[in-house]
Parts: sequence; C-alpha cells; structure tokens
Amino acid sequence: MTAETAPVGAGVSTDVLRKWVPWAVLGLGVVALQVTFGGAGSFPAALDSFINDPLDSLGDWIRANRRSHALFTGFFNPLTDLLNFLIDGIESILLWLPWYVVVGGAFVIPARVNMWKQGLLAAAVLVYTGLIGLWAPTMETLALMSVAVMIAVVLGVPLGILAALRPGVERFLRPILDAMQTVPAFVYFLPLLGFFGIGSVNAAMATVIYALAPVVRLTTLGIKQVPVQSVESARMFGSSTRQTLMKVQIPMALPTILTGLTQTIMMALGIVVLAALMGAGGLGENVFQSLSQRRTGRGIAAGLAIVAVAIVLDRVWRSLANIDPLSRAPRKWLWSGIGALVAAAVIGRLTGLIDFPEVWSLRLFDPIDNIVVWARDNLRWLTRPVNDFIVAGIIVPVRDFLTDTLAWPVLIFVTGWACWHVKGWKLALFGAGSVAVIGLIGMWELSITTLVQVMTATIISVAIAIPIGIWAGRKPRVEAAMGPILDALQTIPSLVYIIPVVILFTVGVVPGIIASVLYAIVPGIRISALGIRQVPEESVEASRTFGATPRQTMLGVRIPLAGPTIMTAINQIIMMVLAMVIIAGFVGGGGLGFETIRALTRSLFGLGAEVGLALVLMAMILDRYTQAWGERLQPPTGH
Amino acid sequence: MANASCLELKGVWKVFGTKPDRALEMARQGASRAEILSGTGCTVGVHDVTFDVDWGETFVVMGLSGSGKSTLIRCIAQLTPVTEGSIQLDGTDLTSMSESELRGVRRDKMSMVFQHFGLLPHRRVLDNVAYGLEIQGMKKQDRAERALEVLDVVGLDGWGDHYPQQLSGGMQQRVGLARALAVDPQLLFFDEPFSALDPLIRRDMQDELLRLQEQMHRTIVFITHDFAEAIKLGDRIAIMKDGALDQIGTAAELITNPATDYVAEFTKDVPKAKVLTAADVMESANGDLVHPDHVAASASIESILPSLLIRSEPMAVVDADGVTVGIIDRRAVARVLER
Repeated sequence: MTAETAPVGAGVSTDVLRKWVPWAVLGLGVVALQVTFGGAGSFPAALDSFINDPLDSLGDWIRANRRSHALFTGFFNPLTDLLNFLIDGIESILLWLPWYVVVGGAFVIPARVNMWKQGLLAAAVLVYTGLIGLWAPTMETLALMSVAVMIAVVLGVPLGILAALRPGVERFLRPILDAMQTVPAFVYFLPLLGFFGIGSVNAAMATVIYALAPVVRLTTLGIKQVPVQSVESARMFGSSTRQTLMKVQIPMALPTILTGLTQTIMMALGIVVLAALMGAGGLGENVFQSLSQRRTGRGIAAGLAIVAVAIVLDRVWRSLANIDPLSRAPRKWLWSGIGALVAAAVIGRLTGLIDFPEVWSLRLFDPIDNIVVWARDNLRWLTRPVNDFIVAGIIVPVRDFLTDTLAWPVLIFVTGWACWHVKGWKLALFGAGSVAVIGLIGMWELSITTLVQVMTATIISVAIAIPIGIWAGRKPRVEAAMGPILDALQTIPSLVYIIPVVILFTVGVVPGIIASVLYAIVPGIRISALGIRQVPEESVEASRTFGATPRQTMLGVRIPLAGPTIMTAINQIIMMVLAMVIIAGFVGGGGLGFETIRALTRSLFGLGAEVGLALVLMAMILDRYTQAWGERLQPPTGH
Repeated sequence: MANASCLELKGVWKVFGTKPDRALEMARQGASRAEILSGTGCTVGVHDVTFDVDWGETFVVMGLSGSGKSTLIRCIAQLTPVTEGSIQLDGTDLTSMSESELRGVRRDKMSMVFQHFGLLPHRRVLDNVAYGLEIQGMKKQDRAERALEVLDVVGLDGWGDHYPQQLSGGMQQRVGLARALAVDPQLLFFDEPFSALDPLIRRDMQDELLRLQEQMHRTIVFITHDFAEAIKLGDRIAIMKDGALDQIGTAAELITNPATDYVAEFTKDVPKAKVLTAADVMESANGDLVHPDHVAASASIESILPSLLIRSEPMAVVDADGVTVGIIDRRAVARVLER
C-alpha cells in the first residue's frame, strides 16, 4: 500500500468522499440487486452437467479399463505395485523383527548422536503401542508413513534445490505449492482412488501431495540461507556448480531441509485416519471403528498410538537432521548397539519370542467411556441449550437468510466489493467470479451450508484463540504450560476427540463445529503468541519510557505491531476449519463434507469434482481475502 | 614470471542493471552516479579503474562502505563479470575466459580471505584448510599433510581436529588465511578480512600478515575501510570513492601530497610523525654535500625530531650505504606536520 496524500486545498471533503463513497456503493448495490432479483429463485446451475457428466463417464471409463488400458497397465499399475511392495515390505520386516529389536532401533538411531532422551521417548511410546495390543496396526501405519515420507524426500528435496538455484523454477512452483497447501487433502482423495485403486498406495500418495510443500519450501529456504561468503569461497577455490552444491550448499542446508521433513511428518499424520477411508488400514481403521462404536477410550488409545508413530518418525528424522559433528556418540557404542540389536533379532527369531506379550489391552481405556457416558447423562442441562442455540439460533436462520431471503446476485456483489475493498479489482474479479462458478456448478446451497458452519467455527475459534494467544505471548510460563495441551490437540487425530463430542451432543452440526474449533485454535494461539513475542523489545521499552501503562503498551504498541501476524493466525484458523469440513461430514454436519464422503464411498467422480472445486474456490477466496487484509496491516515500507 | 606486473587492470567498469550500455555512455559523458541511476535504473559499481600490481606487492584498496571496493575485488576474481575493461593475471586476460577456464585459474593461481571467514561449519579445521586442495584433486593423504603444514605456519598447530565454530573469531580467520595459503596461490585477495575482529585481535592479525608477507612475498590485493590498516599493510594504497579511484600511491605520497580533498580528509588524522620517514620529507641533494650531522633515510620523523628541533641548520639524510641522498631541517618537518 502506498500512502496517498490528498492534494492541498482539496481539503476535508475529498477525504470524506474517499471514505464514504465505497460504503454508499455497497449499500445502494445491495438494495438495488435485492429489489431486482429478490424472489428470482435459486442459482441457475447451468454448468452442473457440464462438469458432472464427462467426469462420471471418466469414472466409468477408469473402472472399465483399469486392467486393460496402457495408461494403467504401463504406468499406474506398475507404480502401484512398486509402492505396495515397498509398504508391505517394510511392514513385514517390522513385524518379522522381534518387537524389542524395533524398540531398540528407535532408541539407537537418536542415541547415536547423543540424543539419549529422544531415543528413550521413541522407544517408550513404541512399548506403549505394544502394551495396549496395537502393535500390528502401529507397524502398518509406521510402514505407510515411512514410505510417504521417503517419497516426499525423493521428490521434494531435488525440486527445492532446483527452485533455490533457478528463480524461474521457483516462480513456477510457488503457486502450485500454495495451492497444495490451501486445498483440503480430501479433495484429491477421489482422483487418487481412481488412479491407484483402493489400498495403501493412494493413501501414501495423498499424504505425499498434502505434505510435500514444506519439504520443497524449506529445502529452497535452506539452500538460499547458506551464507554468500561460503558459496563464494567455494567458487573462489574453483569448485564447479556441482561441487559447490554437494560439498557446501546441501550440507549447510541439511538442518533446515530436515526441519521441513519434521513438518511433513506432522502434516502427514493429519491424514492417517482419513487414509483408512481409502482402504489403507492401520491405526486409522481402529479410530474409525471406535467412532462407529462410540468407544471414546479405544479411540483415544488408537489416537495415542498414532501420536506414538509421529514421535518415532519425528525423533528419528530429527536425529538424522543432527549433522552437528560435535554431538556424535563414540563409534564403539554405536557398533555395540547395532551388534546387540542383530544378536537380539537372531536369538528372537530362533527362540520364537517375536510378538509383543499380551499384557494389557484396549480394555484399559474403557473407564473413559463410562466417564463420557456419565457426562452425557449429567450435563444435559448444558449441552442441550448450547446445541439448540447454535443450531436454531445461528446456523439455521443465517443459512435460510443467505439461501432464501437474499437474492444470489447480492452475495456475488458483496463478495466482489469486500475483495475490492481490501485489495483491488483483481481480487474482486476473482472473488465474484469464484462465487458465480460455485453457483453455476450447482453447489450453491451445499456451499452456503458449509460456509455458515465454517464461519461459525471460525468466529468461535478467533474469539477463543486470539485473546489466549495474546496472553500467552506476554507470559512465557503460560505458553509453556499450554504447550503439551496444544501439542496433543494438534497431533491427536481430530476424529478421536470428536468421539466424546458426538456422544455429548449427539450427531449433528454442533460436534463438527466443536471439533473444528478444537483443531483450529492451536495454530491460532501459537501464531498470535508468536506475533506478540516478536514485537521488538526496543519499541516496547520506548513506549514504557514515555510512561505508558501496560494496557497502553499492549493496545498502542504490541497489538498494532503484531497485527499482520495475528491476521496470519486468523488465516490459519480458517484454513484449519476448512480442513475439518470432511470430519464434520462424518458426524452429521451435512454440506460439502457429507457430499465428499458420499462421492468417495460411491466413486462418484462428477460429484467429487464439483464438491472439490467448490471447496477449493471457497478456500482460495477466504485465504486471499485474509492475506490481503494482513498485508494492509503491514506498516508501509520505503518505496 | 614472464610479466612485469602480476595483475593489470585497464579501464574496468562494472554496471549493475538492465541497461549497462546506456549507463556507460552517460558515465563517459560525466553524469553522476545519481543521474545514471535515475536515468537508466543502473548502478555504477566500478568506474573506469586502472592499476597494476607488481609481483610481491601488497596493494591496498581503501574506501568507505558503498565505494565499490568489494565489487572491484569480486570483478578481479571474476566472481561477477565486468561490464567493460580488461583484467590480466600474469599477462592472461581473465575477462575473456570461459567459466571452466576460470575455475582452473581459481584452483591454481588465486585465493581469497573473506570478511566473515566463509568457513564451512560442517568440516573440521583441517578439512576446511584442505578444501582448495580437494578441489584441485589432490590425494587425501597429501592434502592432509599440506594442510597441517599451513596450519603450523599460521600458528594453529594442533587445532586441525576442531570445528570452526569452536574457535575464536581471530582463530577462525587464521583458518581462512591458512585455507587461502594452502593452494600456494600467485595472487591473494583479502576482502576486509580483519574488520569483523576486535581491535586487539585485529592488530595481532595485521602483525601476523606482515610477518608472513616478510617470508612469502605474495602478491596481495587487500580491501579495507580502515586507513590506518591501509598504511600499516600497504606498499601502495588506492583510495576509492563512488566506484572510481581518487589516488594511488604509497602512504607517504598520500599524506604529503593528497590529490583530492577526499584523500586529505583521511590523511588529516594520521600520526604523520610516526608514518613518515626522513626520506619522505627531505629535499634531495647531491651526495657530495657535507653536513656535520646525519640521519638515516628510513628513520621515522618521530625518532629524529628531538635532534632536529635543537638545530637551526639542516641535517644530512643518508641511505643504507652511508651515501647522502638529501637534507632535512626543522622547517621542512614543521611544514609537513602542520598540514
């Protein structure tokens, strides 16, 4: 934003005009459109069959040709077989090895770089999965995730390096990566299902697509962050481009690259459960069973096992990221550790002591079910009114207003105006155009149903997350205390904590909204706390030397300076809520989420594409709008 | 060493931006940097620079930040291509070389010491020092031996197995120096190598460099923004401003005879009595002139001042062989010190 200065002499009236004319245009436009089109009926879904029919026939064609056409026999099927072979192979090795060897390996890999505690933790959480009787599905999920992470590395790291070295490649990749991170993962489940068939492979591919962006981005960042002097010194000694890359840039970027991998692992866990929907099996299936049986305890048990997989993968990668040559355990210890593991494997296989002994089982968690049932029976006085208020007081009237009372051109106009107001004509055209497309493909009412839920969840999340975030940003101890809770909310699959919510509130819109809120407040709190913490201490001190009270400092310095970051937090909240649309669909939220599931389970390609397109457009409008708003809060820079 | 000079720069220009030709034209017609920037969007980094560096000479380029000295050294090393002009190393033009030919030259003939060291944190000190040899394709055993030798030379005996980040700033720069010396280059570049160091460490490193140069007689191009460092280290000094050289000369020439007000500004605060010698201030005279008292030509003004002040008549200045080369009196000294 460039600051425009009003010409001297034009005076106050220009300023007033500039301020009020847009609002007057908005008001007049809404009234005019409403009067003209009011009662004109629902959106003409003119493009519905245009998308639906060809894609449905594509679905039919895939079904008919999967075994015969060259595209499948020559490419997708061999690729599927290869990946299946990898996943199954790793899984069989993990199950073939005696359990204590796997546990030992999880310890030794981090311990070899002196990360003893991390190694112990990784080993301990694996023991947990065995103790509760989930060893086999845990290994299944571990194998799937390992392959997904490997593919992400094989594809992502070279792409990231290329993007760092060639600005053209980066310009080309950036919008694609942006899209990969904005599009909710379940949108591309169906096409993957078409290409790779039911099973682990499409789940792995979905994970890769969803989680590839951080690897590419952080690789690019890592290579670019290598100090110019180090690269110049390499060139000065006559290194070729390849030598500079292999001997200087990649080794120095490695820690950043592997941080990207850690992020990839965390993102990938987010869809482990959904992967079960695509026939991947593993721990995700246990979670789904628990949901359908309303067994909170078992759901939590399986959810914790998924977290255990995350911890193991994360600690192992983090230890691989540790190339700090100073923290290396003595080689003697490493070899004796490996030796002990090999010996244990041989002895274990010979004596047949392979499977985890049955100590406890999932029943250990059954008391939790009783607590939830007790809460359901005794908290009705609270849950009922909350449920009724959200449904009858907010969701239904707002939805009816938007779909029935308001004429659809009004909504297009308002979207365009709002986009123009924060950014300009380009975004206005994009916003209005996207809304029109959503209507034209026949997704108007479903999208509004989803939009109302998304906005409700967003408003609740913002109201909770931003104040807590600001508070936590000021008080490091508060933030430290909240850390484990936030970690748990972010890592435990959302389907797990939706189980008690469903039991408490019964099936409907509300559990989906509550689950979305629980999921979305975490980044909201974290990012806004970060924004407050990043305010330069000097600015705060300057304000205090002028005698500002803590409140004045907060309102006048910290919050304005953290403004853009807080906007990012809101943007993230919306993205998270959108990612939960499908989860909401599982528990009776209706809207686009439910249609997605219907399309997935019945392989309705046309419907899947339309729902996906509507969701992507909705996500892109909301994303760009909030980002543009954040840019506006940015203090103007030099030029 | 076939050529008289190690390094020869002729009319070197460096223009950053998309319209270098137009910018060059404007610059030749006398347009200022600011005019060129607003007219073409181009920045003139190096403005028609010409100089020679003799074999074994330490040539210092001194300028403030933004003067283009860093750009100049990168142009000489061909880390950035020049817009116009020629740069000859031992009679061979670097500007017309292909990238692979340049790689060869860099491997064998030149190396650089960087301001922020530019060491590789993932390699031991020994492997950092051996990096250039590794790129040359030397065998592991041989390059380790050579690296140990050079570490000894720079006073880091026994530190080879440590990692750079375990060393102090001064020691890290010794590693940078050792790395540059290991490949036995004809030409050494120093890009403000000591400016990131504490003042005391900086003085140590300067002394160290003087000591090494006493033994090795390398050809050195040294960049600095510190005039005191320039006169301490440089056989000759070039003062750079806005991409162009204001003056080239020995420290004494710059002090006694600054070409521009800008140069005079730097020489103003120099402790002249310490820097100048009798030879710099004397009036030349024939060998047969006889005065009862004499001073050595290489003696600093500071050291001869007491004996000069008590005499109203001039003293003879004699060279190392005892031959009289000039006369000096207290008025001449006063004239120079006053300035």
